[in-house]
Amino acid sequence: MGDVNPLRRLTAVRGRAPADLASIFADVSRGDQAAFSELYDLTSDLVHGIARRIVRDPAMAEEVTQDVFLELWRLAPRYDASKGSVRTWVATLAHRRAVDRVRSEQAGRRRDEQELRRQTADYDHVSEEVLDRLDHTRVQRALAALSDLQRDAVSLAYYGGYTYREVAVLLDVPEGTVKTRIRDGLIKLRDDFGVSP
Amino acid sequence: MNQDLHHLSAAYALDALDADERAAFEAHYPTCEICSAEVNEFRDTAAVLAAEAQVPPPAALKARIMAEAARTRQLPPILPDKVVDLAERRRRRAPRPLVVAAAAAALVVVVSVGAILRSGSGPDRAEQILAAPDALVTSLEGGDGTIRVVWSAERDEIAVFGNGLPDPGPGSTYELWFVLDEGVAPAGLFEPDTDGIIRTVLEVDDIVGSGWAITIEPDGGSPQPTGDIVFSGPV
Repeated sequence: MGDVNPLRRLTAVRGRAPADLASIFADVSRGDQAAFSELYDLTSDLVHGIARRIVRDPAMAEEVTQDVFLELWRLAPRYDASKGSVRTWVATLAHRRAVDRVRSEQAGRRRDEQELRRQTADYDHVSEEVLDRLDHTRVQRALAALSDLQRDAVSLAYYGGYTYREVAVLLDVPEGTVKTRIRDGLIKLRDDFGVSP
Repeated sequence: MNQDLHHLSAAYALDALDADERAAFEAHYPTCEICSAEVNEFRDTAAVLAAEAQVPPPAALKARIMAEAARTRQLPPILPDKVVDLAERRRRRAPRPLVVAAAAAALVVVVSVGAILRSGSGPDRAEQILAAPDALVTSLEGGDGTIRVVWSAERDEIAVFGNGLPDPGPGSTYELWFVLDEGVAPAGLFEPDTDGIIRTVLEVDDIVGSGWAITIEPDGGSPQPTGDIVFSGPV
């Protein structure tokens, strides 16, 4: 991680290197380990960050990060660029694996209300931490433009890794409302981020 | 039901559906132009949100991952004719929900068209699959007992090994599903013996999946999952 060109790293952090990532990934799909190393340098903060945010436990987050990268490596030859950018694929896979990990850990023991409250406290703490970061004003501004309920619903679902039913319990609002707020919140973010249909 | 499904694309893209709804939505959205477009857009949106969450991993992790990758074989690419094939097969196998509800007759047709065979299994054959050079072994997570699925794409065969599995109940059977990029496809039926042990071989179509799911279905299986997912895992 240490020897990567800082400029490139910065553009990756800001998500502005899609062409770069695409060509690196094309090399990865042909078994190029040096390209895989570059891919790791450019996306490991993203993968590990998602894992950390959702599973919390540092050792488990490392395992999830490792699983995600090995899956990226294994599946690279099957990547289909028509279905989305490399960056989106990496983020989608990381989030899915982190969430599945948390949910399989939880299988068999239902979270009781106390635990939910404890985790809500964690979540508040983390979101403050997030707001302190200067590097991501675009996301912050977009989140700030949502209604409170939209922002809470989207954040708990995405950053918290909760199902919308769990979010409904956490926020003490009906499930249907949460479903709708996630949807219209995400539509607003989509338009704000300029994600083209 | 369908109306509800249309509104799940956002929650799906955030992985905010529980297992049942996820499976139902994954069976639906590939056949729905609006939902597939929304899933792509919302995934892009979520990827932007992910920028907020970046945390560098410990430096030692990279060496472990690089070493692991160096001794891990990549999956072969999907050949263009297979993709076409797969899309065609999926059209046949993924009838719209209305059609699924239609009749038992349709179910029989779909199952036979799918050419899914439940075969008499020999331990030897299961062992052979396990020993195949391209065998991919997955331990599934979920309900009581353990299940390992071994898939050889070369042989178009799957071996299912399991222990401590509950009886699926009278008139019911376990059904294994390929989880595809979009939706699911049936991979075969199996039932454990009275000791809860399963060791069987399923012959499958030349198909490419990224994960496994197991549900309990009525005898004879279903063209699309109707029961709860009891086990699942990535390939």
